[in-house]
Amino acid sequence: MIRDITIGQYYPGKSVLHSLDPRVKLIVTFWLIVVIFLCKSFFSLGLIALTAVAAAALSRVPAKMILKSLKPIVIILIFTAILNIFYTQGGETYFSWWKIEITEKGVNTAIFTMIRIVSLVVISSLLTYTTTPTMLTDALERILSPLKVFKIKVHTLAMMMTLALRFIPTLIEEIDRIMNAQKARGADLETGGLVERAKALVPIFIPLMVSAFRRAYELAFAMTCRCYTGGEGRTRMKQMKIALRDIIAIIFCAAITAGVIVLNHFFDAVI
Amino acid sequence: MSYTIETIGLTHYYSKGTVQQVAAINDVNLKIEKGELVGIIGHTGSGKSTLISHFNGLLKPDSGKVLVDGVDIWKDKETLKKSRFKVGLCFQYPEYQLFEETVYKDIAFGPKNMKLSEAEIKERVMRAAAFTGVKAEHLGKSPFDLSGGEKRRVAIAGVMSMEPEVLIFDEPAAGLDPRGRNALINLIKDYRKQTGSTVIIVSHSMEDIAEMADRVIVMNNSSVAMQGSVDEVYSRGDELRAMGLNVPEITEIFAKLRAKGLDVPQNVYTVEQGAAILRKLLERGSAK
Amino acid sequence: MSEKIIEFENVTFAYETEEEDAPVQFPALTDVSLTINKGEFVAVLGHNGSGKSTLAKLCNAILEPTKGKVTVKGIVPDTEEKADEVRRIVGMVFQNPDNQIVATIVEDDVAFGPENLGIEPAQIRKRVDDALKSVNMYEFRHREPHKLSGGQKQRVAIAGVIAMQTECIVLDEPTAMLDPKGREEVMQTVKRLNKEMGITVVLVTHFMDEAVQADRVVVVDGGRIVMNGKPREIFSNVEKLRSFGLDVPQSTELCHVLGIKEGVLDVDECVDEIARLAGGAL
Repeated sequence: MIRDITIGQYYPGKSVLHSLDPRVKLIVTFWLIVVIFLCKSFFSLGLIALTAVAAAALSRVPAKMILKSLKPIVIILIFTAILNIFYTQGGETYFSWWKIEITEKGVNTAIFTMIRIVSLVVISSLLTYTTTPTMLTDALERILSPLKVFKIKVHTLAMMMTLALRFIPTLIEEIDRIMNAQKARGADLETGGLVERAKALVPIFIPLMVSAFRRAYELAFAMTCRCYTGGEGRTRMKQMKIALRDIIAIIFCAAITAGVIVLNHFFDAVI
Repeated sequence: MSYTIETIGLTHYYSKGTVQQVAAINDVNLKIEKGELVGIIGHTGSGKSTLISHFNGLLKPDSGKVLVDGVDIWKDKETLKKSRFKVGLCFQYPEYQLFEETVYKDIAFGPKNMKLSEAEIKERVMRAAAFTGVKAEHLGKSPFDLSGGEKRRVAIAGVMSMEPEVLIFDEPAAGLDPRGRNALINLIKDYRKQTGSTVIIVSHSMEDIAEMADRVIVMNNSSVAMQGSVDEVYSRGDELRAMGLNVPEITEIFAKLRAKGLDVPQNVYTVEQGAAILRKLLERGSAK
Repeated sequence: MSEKIIEFENVTFAYETEEEDAPVQFPALTDVSLTINKGEFVAVLGHNGSGKSTLAKLCNAILEPTKGKVTVKGIVPDTEEKADEVRRIVGMVFQNPDNQIVATIVEDDVAFGPENLGIEPAQIRKRVDDALKSVNMYEFRHREPHKLSGGQKQRVAIAGVIAMQTECIVLDEPTAMLDPKGREEVMQTVKRLNKEMGITVVLVTHFMDEAVQADRVVVVDGGRIVMNGKPREIFSNVEKLRSFGLDVPQSTELCHVLGIKEGVLDVDECVDEIARLAGGAL
């Protein structure tokens, strides 16, 4: 049923990764992404890949779901691999035909880039698998709150994101309803050229907009009734507290960074 | 003989092919005759909305068939398209489908999709507007400037203007006050009397159905639980209550009177009917 | 004498719309005076467009009267600060449950009001849990609101007001979009709030069977209060109610048509009366 949709790709669970402070998770994720780009040798990258695999295991998110998150990037992976194989030259030549030469360096770079992208995607999807969109917005608001100094309305932005997340499912349901109503009046949404199809969307788009405005208006009333006056003076029910596991996560990250730097130093760089 | 609408083993699943697969409707076999006014009752989630969305091909059956005038609507594309015009479906809160600049254009949307001539379209819009009580001076106005009740009439006119053989209403009185509800019930009754069309009303209001329907179909747990005349269905109060449906208050009064040992019938579902019976009873009482 | 919580004194409210450059005023309420006492359960009845919704919105300073004065526990909400104070006393639940839920998790939504009030986090937690328990939605606290039924969403909205610990709750047609089961759930909850928690309730509705459950019924027609009294008094005037585009419960109607008793409120009363009179027929 259409109302069963879930926004984001949160996978409910009680693992260590789930219970980490969302702010820490957000920071650690960005941190690791930066470290991925610091890697120069197979050994340092291997350390990151190992971390990604370990984190995935810790999260208890089924391997099938993690592989699913890799599906959309398969084409990118193949494309970058081919590019690297053909355009990076050097070292021993494995294969040569006409103008095409496949060299040791090309193959190494291709493999290296692929591992890098896969690690990147796995690490960032672990963040969204173990953190709800609401928690992410909350964390972002709190991390960015120092920006208030520069008159950036962090709270307002976060509130807007929360409301968007809240209303996306409602509006999807609404689109479904309106589409059915217009189809019942003989609206043809499936056939015709681009222009006709665009035109056919008018009977759906206009009622949707009217409804969205009505909802926004009513929501504003309802929020006023509940004494909402912006971020000033608000408290939060759910406090974010840094626990021991969060400190461990940060120290672990630092260790990996150090490891990457050391391994970069001792082994030959691939790129 | 073919029926206006007939379903054979009609089944539809939600989340098909996943672990959560559940039947929204399961093996529904129904026959609806020409000119009937059929009420479909059931609580939310009983499958009644899914059922009617199959009657004009908005949903495709996972198994089973829907026949309109004896023809399978999924036979080919052309038949499917025609079935949309043969079976008009007026959804709950239909005012949310309005979109045109003027009331006239909105009512004309259906007939225009039917590729009728301008003259024919105009005739139909006028007829539908007259039926639903949409005022002539409103035809040039924006539908968004009308009141809630007026919008609903325009939206209903927008389905009626297709002049379908079968007109289905999903919760037509939802959100209306008593005056609006009564006006709407009379509108539907008049429409049926004057056009002789088949009308199907989906509702969870037992009172509304009792006032209009010739025949009642009760949906429960994705299948047809009962069908028959209003008399036949409403007399099974206990079973209806077990399905989460409330019998009309008047029916409940009579059930309790019987429980108190009074000799009154149990198939009472309108106040007029009940008053007539009780008047006789009370006269007899005072005569003694 | 009981303590007043909301008082309308000669309140007039007109909506202003621009029509061909000249502002046109549509009066929604005219010269309304009404007192709601602490602990009362008042139903406001009227057909669509009678002005009953406007009356509700004036109760917690969402609208400001064009003329006259609305006072909530002695406060006249003529500034933004005072309006906020009033909203801490009078909470509101609207018709469409979808358009008043703010958060993507049930318990976060209930916490929204108390968070705005700047309550201590531990205190909010307790209030949220208590509020959800009092509307029987505690087991649903981690659910997403869009996956709930209409009646459940409306109960979450009510919990959101309870958690603000308002003394009064105004419900603007809370059951109009619900099915019979949802209506029943919401009505049970509303009655419990009033009887067990002592919260003053103003219920705007056009369902007669809901109005009969109130302590007092106020009938609005054409922007004026046309009837105000105990349900029994109000429902004794079947013809008068009809003239305002309203109906009466079938029990009331039956006894009225038979001419045996006026102002009958429920099935049991109706059955008893008929059984008593028909005693000779047994």
